[in-house]
Amino acid sequence: MLVQGGISMIAKKNLAREAQLKQLIVLPLALFIFWIILTGSFTTKSLIIGLMAALIVSRLCSPILYLPAAHTPGKSYAAFDLPYLKLFFYLFWLLGELIKANIQVALIVLNPKMPISPQVVTFKKPLDHPVAQTLLAKSIILTPGTITMDVGDDIYTIHALTKDAALSLAPLEGEGEMPVRVGRLFNE
Amino acid sequence: MTIVALVLLFSGFFFIVVAALGVIRFPDFYTRLHAAGKGDTLGIALFVLGLAVYNGFNFVSLKLLLIVLFVFLANPIGGHVLSRAAFRSGLKPWTKKGE
Repeated sequence: MLVQGGISMIAKKNLAREAQLKQLIVLPLALFIFWIILTGSFTTKSLIIGLMAALIVSRLCSPILYLPAAHTPGKSYAAFDLPYLKLFFYLFWLLGELIKANIQVALIVLNPKMPISPQVVTFKKPLDHPVAQTLLAKSIILTPGTITMDVGDDIYTIHALTKDAALSLAPLEGEGEMPVRVGRLFNE
Repeated sequence: MTIVALVLLFSGFFFIVVAALGVIRFPDFYTRLHAAGKGDTLGIALFVLGLAVYNGFNFVSLKLLLIVLFVFLANPIGGHVLSRAAFRSGLKPWTKKGE
């Protein structure tokens, strides 16, 4: 019992350290690349100033970049400790959905009869990672005829433009494709 | 390359015009947000992307791509904040008669 507890604690500690390390690398790197793109110069002076600014800014920001978990009390996530590769593929899928959504809305707007039947639906999707919640709410806004009206206690209130849009996100049985994908992205 | 840029620019124009038309034609606040939130995001993205392609690959086009990135991050939040404010202050969504 004691040994088991010890092992799990060590594993947890390592995990936290790995997440911290990822956070320590990703944010300054992103800021540094941002600096290079904006200045557009590769002189030593500009690179040194940029590197220092990136390090100072990420150090100042570090206290607010640990987000408390939604369900596990006492646990917190590093905001930049994300599954980047999976996120990349998810964003490609989202881009496709965004284009489809726009064509659908364009067709509805240009249709003289205006075939809309707006409705409000709710669905429940418990996600522990705060970034996952944000990603889901944001993806809903960008995709076919749906807007997130409110998020609270795992319940998402959605305003849908048509009945099909409402059903694709919150089917009568089971879960919609998007919540499942976001859940899989964060292994929840 | 110019043709690709032109196609991107004009599809961007098309989506922005459709979004503006939607804002005029839709019946209530929430449905108008549908037009504004989505049409603008893709319209601006395509438009700026077209400019980046026309410009060729250099630092200016990278900066233009950054604009696309920030529009994608900020626009959904704007739409959500507006709809949540309306929802919490008790605005009832418009529904079709008889439903």
